[in-house]
Amino acid sequence: MGQGVHMQELPGIGKRYDIDLGSSTQRISVVVRQGIRDLYVFTDKGEEPTAVLELTGEQALKLGAVLTGTFFEG
Amino acid sequence: MHADLVGLGAIVLIAGLVARLGRRYGFPTVPCYMLVGILLGPGTPGPVLIDHPEDLAILASLGLVLLLFHLGVEFPAEQVLGSGRRLFIAAGVYIGLNVTAGLALGFALGWGTSEALVTGGALGISSSAIATKLLIELRRLTNAETPIILGIIVIEDMFLAFYLALLSPVLNDSGSTADFVVDLLVSFGFLVLLFAMARFGARAIALVLNSREDELLAILMVGLVVLVAGIALEVGVSEAIGALMIGLVVSRTSLKDRVEQLVMPLRDVFAAIFFVSFGLTIDVGDLGSVALPAAVAVVITVCTNLTAGIVTARLFGFNQRAATNIGLTVLGRGEFSLILATLAIAAGLDERIGPFVALYVLVLAIAAPLLAAQSRHFARFVPDRLLRSRYRYVRAETMSTSCTHQDQMHYTETDIDVCQECVDIGSTWVQLRLCMKCGYVGCCDDSPHKHTSAHYEREHHPVIQSLEPGADWQYCYVDEILVRQPLGRASSS
Repeated sequence: MGQGVHMQELPGIGKRYDIDLGSSTQRISVVVRQGIRDLYVFTDKGEEPTAVLELTGEQALKLGAVLTGTFFEG
Repeated sequence: MHADLVGLGAIVLIAGLVARLGRRYGFPTVPCYMLVGILLGPGTPGPVLIDHPEDLAILASLGLVLLLFHLGVEFPAEQVLGSGRRLFIAAGVYIGLNVTAGLALGFALGWGTSEALVTGGALGISSSAIATKLLIELRRLTNAETPIILGIIVIEDMFLAFYLALLSPVLNDSGSTADFVVDLLVSFGFLVLLFAMARFGARAIALVLNSREDELLAILMVGLVVLVAGIALEVGVSEAIGALMIGLVVSRTSLKDRVEQLVMPLRDVFAAIFFVSFGLTIDVGDLGSVALPAAVAVVITVCTNLTAGIVTARLFGFNQRAATNIGLTVLGRGEFSLILATLAIAAGLDERIGPFVALYVLVLAIAAPLLAAQSRHFARFVPDRLLRSRYRYVRAETMSTSCTHQDQMHYTETDIDVCQECVDIGSTWVQLRLCMKCGYVGCCDDSPHKHTSAHYEREHHPVIQSLEPGADWQYCYVDEILVRQPLGRASSS
C-alpha cells in the first residue's frame, strides 16, 4: 500500500481502504465490494460518518479520473 | 400444465413485490418470501395460488442446493483461517451460547432428541445475508467491529457444514446404534472425500467445468452441483452439505470469480422459490400453538446474542456501542434456519417444528433490523466493568475507525527495560511504553514525569505500545484510539 493508505479485508464483502489525509479530523474510507464502491467521509471525530456515497463501478471511475486529474470527457 | 405456470409466476411475482416493499422499510427479503408462501398457500384461508406445494419440490430443492453451493464458492477460507485465535474464540462463544440455548429449549419443549438438534441449529446459526445487508444499510462498513462481525458470520457458515454432517444421520434415524454410527461415518467420510477433492482435485474439477463461454460454464456448473448434491442425498448425507462442499471445491479453482457471478442470479431466483415453497407447507392455524415456544426462543436468542456481543467486545477491547452492535447485527435468522426446518420436515420429524421455525424467523426478521438500528440505546445499559475497565476512554472516545498510522509501526520489541529519562533525573516509573516509530522507551502516564507522552509532544511519533508483560495493546496519540490488528492478511505497506 502507498503511504498513509491502509487496507483491511472485510470477509464476504470486499476490502476497506482507510486514507490518511494528514488531518486529525478529516478521514476517508473506501469500501470496495463487487463493483460497488462505498465512500465513507468523516469530518469530525464522531462515530457517525458525515456522508456515505454508494457509487457504481462506472461512477467511481468517473470520480476517480477527475480526482487523479486525468483528462475526462463523457 | 399452464395452470401451474400461472400459479408459480403469480406467487413469485407477488413474493418479489412484497420483498421490494419490505426492503423500503429495511426488512430482510427471506421472511417476506416465506410470508407470501404462507398467506397464499393451501394452509391459509383466502386465495390459494399453489394447491400442492409438492409441485414446486424440484425447484425448491434446486434453490436449496444453489444457496449452499454459492455459500461454498464465496467462502473466504484463507482470510478466516489467517485471522487469528481471538476471532475463533469469539465465534466459538457466539455459536456455543446460541446452539446450547437452542438445544436446551429444544429438550425443554420435549418434542424429541432429533427435534432438539434441529432447534439448536435453527436458533444457533444466524443469517449471513441479513447481517451483511444490515451492515451496509446502517453505514457501519468502516466500524471497528465490522470485520469481527463478518468473521463470526463466516465461521458460523463453516460450523453449519459440520452441523449438517452431524444432523443428517440423526435425521435418517435408522433405529439401531450400529446403523447410526455407520451413517455418521459415511456422512463424515463423504465430507473428508470432498475436502480431499478440494485440496487435491480442484484442477480436475476445473478441467471438467472450464469453458470460455459463460453459457457453457453455467450449464456445466449446475449439472455438476446438482449431481453431487444428488449423490450426497443417495449416500445418506443431505443434499445441502453435498452442494456446500462442491462449492468449496470450486472456490479453490481459477473459475471461482466467474462461477460466483454466474450462480448469483440463479441462486436468488431459486432460493426465493425455496422460501416461498417452505411457506406453502405452513398451516396458519398451526402458528398459534407454537406462539409461546417461538416467543421464548426469540427472547433467548436476543439474550444470548447480547451476551456473545459483550464477550466479543471484551476480547477485542471494544466499547459498549460495539458490543451491542455485534450482538444485534447477527440477530437475524433466515436461510439456514429454514433449511434445517426443511430437512426436519423431509425426515418426518414433529410437525410443529415447521411452524415454530417459521414464526421464529418471522419475528426476528422484524425485530433484528429495528434493534440493530437502535443499538446505541442498548449500549447505555452495558456496565463498564463487563468490558476491559483499564481502557478508561472506552465509552467516551470514538472507536469507529481503525488507526491510520499503522504504516509507522516499525518497532515491536526492545531490549531496553528502563525509562532512561527517569534514570537520568533519579526518578522512578510505574510502567514502560515503547514508541513504535523510533524505538524510544519511556514511562507511562501514571508515572510522575509521563516521558512517553512528552516524547510524542516533541516528536509527533503517533503509535506507542505497552511493554508491560502480557499487555498486547497499542495506542495511537493522533487518532486517540487503540490500534487494532487488521483482520485477515496484514496490509502490505
